[in-house]
Amino acid sequence: MKQAGKKAMIIGGGPAGMEAALRIGQAGFESVLIEKEAALGGTILKLCSSFPRWESPLELVEEKIKQLKHCSYVKVMTETTVIESRTRHDGYSILLKLNNGDTTELDINAVVLATGFEMMDVSIYGEYGYGIYPDVMNSLEFETLLKAWGDGMGKTPQGVAFFKCVGSRDRSKGYPYCSKICCMYTAKQAGLVKDMFPNAKVYVFYMDYRASGKGYEEFVREVIEKKHVRYVRGRPAKVLPDGGRLLVRAEDTLIGIPIEVTVDVVVLASAAVPRQETAPLAAMFGTKTGEYGFLEQKRFSLARASNRVFFAGGCGFPVEAPFAQQQGASAAVEVIELFSQ
Amino acid sequence: MMNVAYFPGCSLHTVSSEYDKSTHLVCESLEVGLKEVEDWNCCGATAGHSMDHELTMGLNARNLAQASLMNIDPLVIPCPGCFNRLKNTNIRLKTFSSVVREEERSMKNPPQELPRVMNLLQFLIEVIGLERIAEPVKIPLKGLKLAAYYGCLTTRPRKVAEFDDPEQPVSMDRILNVLGAETVLWSHKAECCGGPFITSELSIALDLSRQVLETARHSGAEAIVVACPMCQLSLDSRQVVVGHDQVLQPRLPIIYFTQLIALAYGFPIRRTGLKSLFINPLTLLAKKGLA
Amino acid sequence: MEDNIYTPLNLNDIDDSIQEEIRTKCGIDVDLCLECGKCSGGCPNGHIFDYTPRKIVRLVKLGDKETLMTMDALWICLSCQLCLDRCPSGIDIPAILDYMREKACRGGVEASRPRVKLFHELLLSSIRERGRVSELDVVLKYNWKTGEYMKNARLGVKMLLKGKLNLSRSRVKETEEVRRLFEATIAKDLP
Repeated sequence: MKQAGKKAMIIGGGPAGMEAALRIGQAGFESVLIEKEAALGGTILKLCSSFPRWESPLELVEEKIKQLKHCSYVKVMTETTVIESRTRHDGYSILLKLNNGDTTELDINAVVLATGFEMMDVSIYGEYGYGIYPDVMNSLEFETLLKAWGDGMGKTPQGVAFFKCVGSRDRSKGYPYCSKICCMYTAKQAGLVKDMFPNAKVYVFYMDYRASGKGYEEFVREVIEKKHVRYVRGRPAKVLPDGGRLLVRAEDTLIGIPIEVTVDVVVLASAAVPRQETAPLAAMFGTKTGEYGFLEQKRFSLARASNRVFFAGGCGFPVEAPFAQQQGASAAVEVIELFSQ
Repeated sequence: MMNVAYFPGCSLHTVSSEYDKSTHLVCESLEVGLKEVEDWNCCGATAGHSMDHELTMGLNARNLAQASLMNIDPLVIPCPGCFNRLKNTNIRLKTFSSVVREEERSMKNPPQELPRVMNLLQFLIEVIGLERIAEPVKIPLKGLKLAAYYGCLTTRPRKVAEFDDPEQPVSMDRILNVLGAETVLWSHKAECCGGPFITSELSIALDLSRQVLETARHSGAEAIVVACPMCQLSLDSRQVVVGHDQVLQPRLPIIYFTQLIALAYGFPIRRTGLKSLFINPLTLLAKKGLA
Repeated sequence: MEDNIYTPLNLNDIDDSIQEEIRTKCGIDVDLCLECGKCSGGCPNGHIFDYTPRKIVRLVKLGDKETLMTMDALWICLSCQLCLDRCPSGIDIPAILDYMREKACRGGVEASRPRVKLFHELLLSSIRERGRVSELDVVLKYNWKTGEYMKNARLGVKMLLKGKLNLSRSRVKETEEVRRLFEATIAKDLP
């Protein structure tokens, strides 16, 4: 039964946003899901496979889109962005820009920010040559290459090196925090390369590997023990061009000697940072972001940033899709609680 | 017309006099007056910081005090080694009154502040600017393919140098480009040449110099351009030794960037000191119609 | 039989003092070290060091003063600053080595590379004598003391002919001022 005068706007159509919109709608409240791209799904649309069960992210997105379509209280607006917001006594008046350039107004009583994360610009690491050598790329860009390889395009690699913690756990040039998901997605990516090119030499340069989750440790061990990805403990110092290929210099810290290796592709697991639109959007709703631009929840709450503002997913901190979904559902619960008062 | 305080350091008066000479020519064209610091002493060189921290601070505190008496800002230093030590001391000194001589306390205009400490490359980029540097160019260095070599201390460590990017520096490249030359992309532009050990542990210096020379060669460079007396000496005077059992022909001239600026400004070759380099650059320059 | 007695390092026996000294005297906190090895990976001399830069920091954490003062790496660090510049925690390894080297010299510890030490001492002598380095003097004395009398002779002649060796051997005017700086320091006992 539709509850009158209670409408939520969810900004961002990734796993977190889709889940939040769905659960609010299923509870009988109107939810409007705003997505700036042409399709729903967010970052996971770009991904090949997922951890820890090697499942297709596209299947998850398709399933969610089906469920959203099924729920009459959910309205999905793609290629739509939020231009401005005016605070009212019971919510906000939003001005939206639509896909055809027109604008429209919308009155809402709660907003859920689910704008996700993006990769830090790692060209600051001149020692790795990102932006200088074309075969040095970040993990998200590498997913595109993985897809191309999967479709039989591109040159067969003889060697691929993954650098973890580029920009993360770095008080000097990057961010002090750990971006949480890179150890797992790097293992996934390394495993996929070996699946496609069993003769390729695949290296993962690490400080640690963090696999705390259900099935996570087993996943990484499978990549090391069954797929024979070589893990080397040492943060690489430099990437040098070497006759069209790339030479990596590092220390194997476990045996304690300097090492080097020539590969074709270097993948930088870059720090996950909030998308650029996060802070301005939060400000539109009178909400501050934290030291690194992530949204912060109020003490004792699940997903509340301020009075009528909630958030879920990567815009709060880097998180993997299943947990982004859970956070979306938590945000929905608190919106429903607000609407039920 | 502007005046700057100038700290040449020991090398520029001896083994690297061509760096000093060409710097003077360049500054003359740019209407920058180089006022040498009165009675300056050695910055301590590698030995100072390696053996005695307090001595090095003391030596450079004296230099800074001498410089500050001139009441000219900034203090420009062509040698990156001297720059590193002077800037380091500059940063650490909280007050300098303790090293100023008693007599100076009674001066009518006692020095108030320590000057900004800059290396020469930094001064040219940040204070003079590329546009101004391009103005006096009479002979564009067209056709020259150069490897700009920054060595260690022009940009490192970043907290001290506060200049350019330590991993992919571009300042010297930009200067050479406005002079009309092409610069190559290469991997060792800021790797160590081994200079500190050319006398006492030559094999180490040779190994590192060889890597710099080889990678420059592989990148298509016809000459290496430097901003440091130690790098210049190491790569130039030892190239015949390094290249003895390697295929490093033709030799790569190792030229101070100020010499190239002076050349582009139209100064005659004999004044630029290009002839005093071990590996003769004149053959290369003649081939390009520049000499 | 004594060789086979199991004697691992007991962590409770670690002497904290050197870590503390480096914290208070150099302002370097080695607890920030993530032990990632980025320093060692890029060190130009890492492959010939007996202890790579990361291991040097580890030695500080393990309180191994003796190794820090006797190791070969102490004398062949180029002070190129690559390790410090790349370290995600900003640990100043060149400064740690400078500190340990000075400590070793004051403590009369033998240098693993006596020629390197000699060259440093001769440079400092020249500065104490005239306030500036006279390369000619330093190199001649170095050749004499190492017994390699004709070393670099050809190079020297070439440099002379190119006017690169300043024979007038400049000096500062206020040599006394400079000499005073040497008094409180290690360099007062220079040859």
